Amino acid sequence: MMEEEEWSEEQQRFSYLQRLKAAVHYTVGCLCEEVASDKDMQFSKQTIAAISEVTFGQCENFAKDLEMFARHAKRSTINTEDVKLLARRSHSLLKYITEKNEDIAQLNLEKKAKKKKKLEDENRNSVESAEAGVEES
Amino acid sequence: MAYNFSPDSEPTTRTLLRQVLDTAVPRTPRRARSTRSGAQRDLLETPSSRRQRSQTKMTARRRSHTATSVDRLARVQASGHLEEQTPRTLLKNIILTAPESSIVMPEAVVKLVPSPQVVQPSRRKSSRGSLELQLPELEPPTTLAPGLLAPGRRKQRLRLSEFQQGMDWGHLSQEPRENADASSLTSSLNLTFAMPLQPQSVKRPGLARRPPTRRVVDVGTFLQDLRDTSLTVAPPDSGPGKPAQLLARKMEEVEAIAMGLPNTSSVSGEDGIEPLQNGVGEEAEESMEESMSVREVEKAAEEQGSARAEEPEGHTEVAAAAGSLGAIEAKEPEGSSEDEDTSASPELPPSTPEFLRTRRLQFPEPAPPPSTAVLPSELPKHLSARIPPRPRIPGSRPRQDPNKAGLNHYAKLFSFYAKMPMEKKAEEMVEKCLDKYFQHLCNDLEVFAAHAGRKTVRPEDLELLLRRQGLVTDQVSLHVLVERHLPLEYRQLLIPCAFSGNSVFPSQ
Repeated sequence: MMEEEEWSEEQQRFSYLQRLKAAVHYTVGCLCEEVASDKDMQFSKQTIAAISEVTFGQCENFAKDLEMFARHAKRSTINTEDVKLLARRSHSLLKYITEKNEDIAQLNLEKKAKKKKKLEDENRNSVESAEAGVEES
Repeated sequence: MAYNFSPDSEPTTRTLLRQVLDTAVPRTPRRARSTRSGAQRDLLETPSSRRQRSQTKMTARRRSHTATSVDRLARVQASGHLEEQTPRTLLKNIILTAPESSIVMPEAVVKLVPSPQVVQPSRRKSSRGSLELQLPELEPPTTLAPGLLAPGRRKQRLRLSEFQQGMDWGHLSQEPRENADASSLTSSLNLTFAMPLQPQSVKRPGLARRPPTRRVVDVGTFLQDLRDTSLTVAPPDSGPGKPAQLLARKMEEVEAIAMGLPNTSSVSGEDGIEPLQNGVGEEAEESMEESMSVREVEKAAEEQGSARAEEPEGHTEVAAAAGSLGAIEAKEPEGSSEDEDTSASPELPPSTPEFLRTRRLQFPEPAPPPSTAVLPSELPKHLSARIPPRPRIPGSRPRQDPNKAGLNHYAKLFSFYAKMPMEKKAEEMVEKCLDKYFQHLCNDLEVFAAHAGRKTVRPEDLELLLRRQGLVTDQVSLHVLVERHLPLEYRQLLIPCAFSGNSVFPSQ
């Protein structure tokens, strides 16, 4: 009974993996179509399959590395720092990631600022309305 | 006493003698003493039987003799008591009481190998020892390879055998062997000693120094240029006059050597040759890689336009110059020793490269005078600063990138493990790759340490690095790798181990 359960679990994992791989394959196919229409070149199916396999393998590696980096920094959550460490090898990718990171940071800051403003406005409004109410009254 | 002895392909001396002794009718009244000798059989049996057995190794037939050896021993014993000693008894004694060193023992083999030409018959009847008897019996395996090893090993074994025989007989026969007496015994050994010495030098080409192959260097222009530079150098060289003197002294030798060069026949000035010596040495080192220097020399020579009578003997490149330059380079350290004044000669080799380097600096400057002011100041500086002499490796650059200095060693290791000869360019590529690899490695370590908010690299960073490389896995941990690959001292430093007294080293 236990063995059957384990085997069925394995089957589930396997099917899960297959689904993931299929998803990656589909995404890679869409991207390649875009590039093909862009550069006026054609991609064979083996190419797309190879690219998707490599991508999937690299994703596994990245995940392990990210986990290692997070553990190395004695954290339990993967951070943007870990991602940057992962991408340090290719300069363009690193630049891209840092820029995106800065954009996101800015967005966060802006959001926070907006939230603060909203809160302040609300506070002022409430105060003003209170004052107005006081005044009116 | 009848034994089944069938003469076959190897009638050795011993067997012949045995035959003679056994078949002939004994004439001495030994039978009367057989009873007494029988009591002493047991005493003598073991050593003699040992000897017999050792001798029986020689031929398969000997085994049949062991049974009869006792009888012979008895006879020997009995005969020993006789005051009258016949040649027969003497021979018997020789055969039976021979030392344990038999042919099969290495010392005898070794002795035999270098003496294939020994004349046998004269020594058979010698009373000196059975070794000589054994010498002709072995067919000399005329392979020189063991002969090569013979001289070293033979001396050891000779001493062994000497000891043994001294024990057995108290003979002094072995000493003259080593002292090369005039006896017939040792005369052949003189031959044997003499013989392997030659093949030793011939048959070990790997150890012999191959003359380093050098590219052709235009010696004529060098002579010219060096003469000119030395002219300017020599006068202001009052301080470091010693090297100049030595250089001047070396000149003659270099001259003599240069005379051998077909083109450099008109070298006369002493000054010109002294830098030539160094120039040749230095150039010889770099000629393989820097042919530009030749052109530089030519340019400088043309620019300086020496007014010397000796005209550069054409700019034809001399093929022999390469080899002779190598000879010059090789003779240079020897030449220094040949000088009368050898006191400053050790200073010379370290000083000459610097001198040359300074001379090189002159090349781009067509005017020698400004450089001469530089030279005397540089010379004493170099002399003092570079007393740990730079090893003059022929063919290596004197100027090396300090960052890549240590990688040369690894590149050579690489070429060793490749088991094939490697080109210089390949070695350089390997150096470059190793350089980049190590740079990457150290960068990673630094980044890992910074990632953990530290400024010091710790073993955890290394473990992370090795994990990324795939060397450390869930099955194989860092400690396992340390145990596998590092020597014991490092293991003790890295892996904490509990010692007595509740102490753990290294402390966690």
